[in-house]
Amino acid sequence: MNELEVKEVQEEQPAELAEKDPFEIHLLEPERISFSRSSGGVFQAVIEGKAYDEIVLFRVFPFRYTTQFISVRNPKNEEIGIVRDISLLDRESRTEIEKELQLRYFLPIVTRIESVKQKADLWIWELGTNLGDTRIVMRNLHEFMQFPGNNRVILTDMNGKRCEIRDYEQLDSHSKRQLRDVM
Amino acid sequence: MEFTEKIPITIEAQLKEQPLFYAATDLMNDGQFGKQWLILTRTEVAIWAEDGNLTSSLPLSDITDARVAGGVGGGTLIADTKRGPVIVLRYTAALTSIFGHVAKLIGALAKGEELPTASEKDFPRLCPKCRTPLSHDSLACPVCKNNGKVLLRMLSYAKPYRKQMIAAAIMLILTTLIELIPPYLTKRLVDDVLTPKDMGSALLWIVVGLAATSVVLTGMQIVRGLIGVWIGSKLMGDLRRDVYQSLMRLSLSFFDRRQSSQFIGRVNSDSEAMRQFMTDGVIWVSGEFLRVVAIAIIMFSLDWKLTLLALLPTPLMIIMSSLLWPKMGRLWYQQWRSVFRLNSIVGDSLQGIRVVKAFGQESAETSRYSASNRDLIKSDIRVQGIWQGVFPIFSLIAGAGTLLIWFYGGRNVLNDGMSIGTLIAMITYLGMLLGPLQWVSQMLNWASHAISAADRVFEIMDTPADVPDTVNPANIGRVKGDVEFKQVTYGYEKHHPVLKGISLNVKAGEMIGLVGHSGAGKSTFINMICRFYDSDEGTITIDGNDIRTISQNDLRQQIGVVLQETFLFDGTIAENIAYSKPDATELDVMRAAKIANAHDFIVQLPDGYDTRVGERGHKLSGGERQRVAIARAIIHDPRILILDEATASVDTVTERLIQEAISRLVKGRTTFAIAHRLSTLRNADRLVVLDHGKIVEVGTHEELLQAEGAYFKLVEAQKELSQIKGVESA
Ligand SMILES: Nc1ncnc2c1ncn2[C@@H]1O[C@H](COP(=O)(O)OP(=O)(O)OP(=O)(O)O)[C@@H](O)[C@H]1O
Ligand SMILES: [Mg+2]
Repeated sequence: MNELEVKEVQEEQPAELAEKDPFEIHLLEPERISFSRSSGGVFQAVIEGKAYDEIVLFRVFPFRYTTQFISVRNPKNEEIGIVRDISLLDRESRTEIEKELQLRYFLPIVTRIESVKQKADLWIWELGTNLGDTRIVMRNLHEFMQFPGNNRVILTDMNGKRCEIRDYEQLDSHSKRQLRDVM
Repeated sequence: MEFTEKIPITIEAQLKEQPLFYAATDLMNDGQFGKQWLILTRTEVAIWAEDGNLTSSLPLSDITDARVAGGVGGGTLIADTKRGPVIVLRYTAALTSIFGHVAKLIGALAKGEELPTASEKDFPRLCPKCRTPLSHDSLACPVCKNNGKVLLRMLSYAKPYRKQMIAAAIMLILTTLIELIPPYLTKRLVDDVLTPKDMGSALLWIVVGLAATSVVLTGMQIVRGLIGVWIGSKLMGDLRRDVYQSLMRLSLSFFDRRQSSQFIGRVNSDSEAMRQFMTDGVIWVSGEFLRVVAIAIIMFSLDWKLTLLALLPTPLMIIMSSLLWPKMGRLWYQQWRSVFRLNSIVGDSLQGIRVVKAFGQESAETSRYSASNRDLIKSDIRVQGIWQGVFPIFSLIAGAGTLLIWFYGGRNVLNDGMSIGTLIAMITYLGMLLGPLQWVSQMLNWASHAISAADRVFEIMDTPADVPDTVNPANIGRVKGDVEFKQVTYGYEKHHPVLKGISLNVKAGEMIGLVGHSGAGKSTFINMICRFYDSDEGTITIDGNDIRTISQNDLRQQIGVVLQETFLFDGTIAENIAYSKPDATELDVMRAAKIANAHDFIVQLPDGYDTRVGERGHKLSGGERQRVAIARAIIHDPRILILDEATASVDTVTERLIQEAISRLVKGRTTFAIAHRLSTLRNADRLVVLDHGKIVEVGTHEELLQAEGAYFKLVEAQKELSQIKGVESA
């Protein structure tokens, strides 16, 4: 998780930024960027007139803002800039960036909690998510459940797999009942 | 590979070639959950759907290299082809290591290199029965294991005190039986003395009998109590010792991920919960059980019809208990979590109390605490509330039984079908019987409380050390000090290497200066020599022995470290200096301090060497603390000396003094020194420049200056900086 935290401004700036203040966060203007996908499925971009054939995205505040403050980097991990809000991008870019974020931040959204069982020292969650059914196994609740606020819950599997409950108040009553016991 | 899966027959039947390697992923390419198979042959990389349809394939001749792009919670396997990168498949985090290996395999195949062999660690292991992922060193599947085992394991702690336990048990049986006498005597009193108004000697004898039983009972209860306390304290001590021992055994990476203050609670309160269960719980439970059986027998023999009637409500109580107990278990855990959060906050803010005060955040910390405190109050109320709410209901139900006896028993007495004494005895016995039954829930609670505590405790004990000692450590004696790194790669998180393919050969007695940007991996480099972590790839040898074959004790005996974060223990300066050599004489301590240039300032302290430096040595200045730490390394007399920014927080004059000290010290010892102030490394035989986890340059100061490479740039940058500041030149 640490690697997602706001990276300090890199000492070596990409060439095109060299003339700008190297300590300023560079916000990208929505009109001057477009994202697409190569035939091999790799995420690409044209940013401020320059084409990049591979782009890596980072959520700067992965818990608080899922579609805002997206750090756009080249594969060498140099920051090209930050997209403030992806909803301001053109249609195609927005679909692609959303898809890429969803793939990079593999965080299925829980739609239903089938059951939460405690077996010996393990907690086993059977979940329905927007990406299909899955099972999450936790060693304990106190280290593997996080509450970033606003009724959100992040569940982490023993192996690092994560699922998100967007708003537990919105779940159906069966799921809520399952959840109430463990919260 | 018994823990990995076999290729489905539908796919296997269609394969034209023997696969080199195969693995199942748990995601489809669009990111949905689902199963696909990657099958790697000498000619292609193919992806098959679970039902036996070929989804895609890529001829190896097109591929130039392969790599994984780690995301969060999952990752992507990417093949670089002549036409650009292609996404082969996606997977969730559980499969990170295996596809890391696949990437290397494909890369090696594409480039015609020797194929890497998979280590056991690369394979995700699943329980053969229930498909739960297993951790690496444990064979037992945690899902398939049952609570009974935990109980048994917990009880095994009582084994050494078997004799005392048996004594306590015998006492218990006797007290239980004696307790049953008084109601019987009362019955006799009523029936034989009071009802016939027969003033014989019987009255006196019965009262004497009653008195005697209560005296004996009291005496036995005292003895039993004392035995219980004795066993309890011993057990508790054993448990605490074991938990603490396991904590000490665990590798650094375990603590990297956790807050240390949480363990304080674990060591103390969890072992207390276990103790309570084992002494009070087990003894109490067996005692009550015995009592219930005995009373039931007596009651049935007095009047079986009435007894059946009286026991009518008991099934109801048992059902209620068993409905309640899982709920209570969860509530207990919730309460524990609230306590845990509260403890973490206290631990956290007190450890950082200086920062809290420096930023004037006392009130923010207080409100953070209050919020958690409110949580705890809430869950306290809930747990206790259920308790208080349910308990009277139990009494009520139990009371119904008594009412039945009064009514039907009373009628019997009036019809002369039963004596008054029997009725009174029945009522008394029923009261004694219902007591334990009401507490069935409490009993179950205790058990669940203890089991979850035991789980947490055993979790610590069972966590395998990431850096295990070998079974037959090589005896290395006192080493010469040759250190060699062979292609060492390491990442704190597997998919994110911090050191990449480091190779370096250091002769005994050589002094190596490590330089590089912050975060380049310098501290990590020396962590590897100390074997705080084990390399993911490659080996480190000392005098030709792989450090994995040396016992960690032996290894650290040879190594003296002054770490970047100097930590002093709560104790006197002398104790801190003599930490690694408790038998050091006063002279040894002073000599070491003198070499570290600490002697003079220590002597001038009011309490001299006996100054208590308290938690983390906050009473000393940064530079003073560092010099004490250097003295601590010196007294250890190591063959390999490691100095991580040992002189970072001292002024230049002191630094010069320390440097002289160090130059005296490093003679004949292999030394690794890290310093940002490059002038500190003047004496180094060779400088190693690290950049992003790779060695970019090696050579003497002069050689590297001449090469005008990375080191040259660092030196120039520092010169510039000191010119701006107008102080020393680099
Ligand atoms: N315990 C840890 N867990 C996870 N990552 C770590 C840990 N320690 C260090 N790192 C990461 O490893 C990288 C290298 O760290 P390292 O401490 O080796 O740097 P360094 O060269 O000693 O830097 P400095 O000069 O600032 O001390 C950094 O990116 C750091 O974030
Ligand atoms: Mg460091």
